[in-house]
Amino acid sequence: MSTTTERTPNRSARTFWAVLAVGTAIDIAAGWLLAQPDYGPHARIIFALLPIPLNLVLVALVVRRIRQLDEFLRQVHLEAVAIAFLLTGVAVFIYGYLQQARVVHPLNFGIVWIFMVVFYGIGYLIAARHYR
Amino acid sequence: MKTRLRVLRAEKQWTQAQLAEIVGVSRQAIIAIENGKYDPALPLAFKLARAFGKNVEEVFVWEDDSLQEK
Repeated sequence: MSTTTERTPNRSARTFWAVLAVGTAIDIAAGWLLAQPDYGPHARIIFALLPIPLNLVLVALVVRRIRQLDEFLRQVHLEAVAIAFLLTGVAVFIYGYLQQARVVHPLNFGIVWIFMVVFYGIGYLIAARHYR
Repeated sequence: MKTRLRVLRAEKQWTQAQLAEIVGVSRQAIIAIENGKYDPALPLAFKLARAFGKNVEEVFVWEDDSLQEK
């Protein structure tokens, strides 16, 4: 049977937010270190790769959470992800064209993540409304 | 697919949350199934039927005539 509810939602959520907070701090620290001119190329590579471990932990936590959802919520989240994926693609394409038209600055790839999160929220609302 | 879930739940005087707890899904899932917005997979359909002591066919009714033998 694949229809199981979450066993310890509060604990899982606390773990997720804690990892997210620490991961964000490491991301910011890595960005700050890379902005310093004093470090050599080897150190800069290490700074650039610093965020990987906790980001992989975040991915694992999200996958574990998805596996704890029941079949209905999985379908809602799948639709939300699909909508977010496609809308992010459209947004990046349009931004690229605007860039060619010299209307906007070159795309900062860090912003794409924000697009994904916002579009995921929109996708979730659309999917949840559809099944209400 | 039509369902008698709401009627059966009312007979048992269970809330949507109670039924969700019994079969191990979210309340949103029960709401969507009752409103005919979501057709559950077989394992969940069997679980729901068992919760009421019924067969699946007594809880869910397939209405698509296109698959009937000619």
